Amino acid sequence: MAGTTFEKYGGFATVSKVVMSFYERVLDDDEVGPYFDDIDMPRLMDHQTKLVASLMGGPSAMSDERLAAVHRHLTITDREFDVIATLLGEAMTEHGMEPADVDGMVRTIEAKRGLIVHRDAA
Amino acid sequence: MSVAALASINEHLLKSIGVGIAILRYSDLQFYFHNAAFADWFGDPRDSAVVAQSIADLREAAGDALLETGRFSGEVSIKPKRRTLVISISLSLADIDGERMIVAECQNITRMRELEQMIESYSSMVERNTRALEREKERVEKLLLNLMPRSVYEEYKTFGVVTPQLYRHVSVLMLDFVGFTNFAEENDPTVTLGELNDIFTAFDRISEQFGVERIKTIGDAYLAVSGMPEPLPDHATAVANCAVRFLRYLERRNQSHTYKWQARVGLGSGAAVGSVVGVQKYVYDVFGPAVNMAARLQVFAHPMKIVAPTSMKFDLIDGFQLDDIGVYKIKGLGDVDLMNVESNLQLIR
Repeated sequence: MAGTTFEKYGGFATVSKVVMSFYERVLDDDEVGPYFDDIDMPRLMDHQTKLVASLMGGPSAMSDERLAAVHRHLTITDREFDVIATLLGEAMTEHGMEPADVDGMVRTIEAKRGLIVHRDAA
Repeated sequence: MSVAALASINEHLLKSIGVGIAILRYSDLQFYFHNAAFADWFGDPRDSAVVAQSIADLREAAGDALLETGRFSGEVSIKPKRRTLVISISLSLADIDGERMIVAECQNITRMRELEQMIESYSSMVERNTRALEREKERVEKLLLNLMPRSVYEEYKTFGVVTPQLYRHVSVLMLDFVGFTNFAEENDPTVTLGELNDIFTAFDRISEQFGVERIKTIGDAYLAVSGMPEPLPDHATAVANCAVRFLRYLERRNQSHTYKWQARVGLGSGAAVGSVVGVQKYVYDVFGPAVNMAARLQVFAHPMKIVAPTSMKFDLIDGFQLDDIGVYKIKGLGDVDLMNVESNLQLIR
């Protein structure tokens, strides 16, 4: 984990703030929020903690297979994916991450687009 | 300040603080007062389904507790929008103007619960990683123990270096297969490796039984020592015991396997230095007269024979059949008096 963004920003201390802020933004957003209407807090929190830790290079258990599996039954569009990526970027910026590192994260998520966006979605 | 002004300030305060406050009549649960924070979470209690539901959820437990102790604490989860809010509720009884009332204090503990959940997720991740690291460490340790004896590994782990050590009394065994090069040329590499693997694994097991340590294999050669790093008084008999059992194992194996193997064995006794060589690609190795002797004599041995210098006779004479074969000039060692070592007759062939 040495030299990762996770280390650079002080590990869990920052991850927790980013996750919390991301969680709130996602739920408050009327475009993507409805996806989470029926998902209980512990599950969503668990998912987002692992996601953010994994994106930052922390100790994560989030494999590509798992990422694909939890999104498979949803019909997420490219537009919605972009919204989520933006919200995450905002959450990271809010907690003092440098633009270069936020861009890096966004690129990392971009690489996962194929796993999350529904193939037939417009 | 008048009493009325003070009461007004009090009411104002109650209305604006972040704690949700409501006062309701004990007898019929009619709301008498609620502040803004309360309404934010639950809505107006007069027509809020959330409030009705929360009351229904808590009624039984709270009723008993209030009767017994006059106090009750509980928690409700509500979902005004998408975010699940967790509200802790403390109820207490109070007499207001001669009437029995319930005072409800509500606090939003959503963030606390969310953080708890986050910490739980995170710690499960870290624990899983720790276990993976632990397993990885064991794998590395196992690998290193294949490269060096345990005591040397312990020294390496503690100090980061291994001091070369001179062992004055050790015995060395060197074994080499007859016609290995031809075999390797004629057969598929996987077959060759499979055969070596099988045989060397058996040799390792035999060595272990006699307290002999395999140092390395070089292609088809097998080098083992006894008396280092742990001193062993009967190091000479230990290697000789291994040697005769190696050959016996091969004889037995040849009876049932497609490929027949023959080996030459040389033994040596004397001093040797053991150390880890290299920094990046380190390997534990041994050097010295005893090692040279075993290596030279192995070349000199006939197939399926063990050759040792007669200087080892004193140590071996009780346990083995020894046949002098005379003095030979051995490269680098000069004239050496040699003998063949075989198992005693009582060893069942």
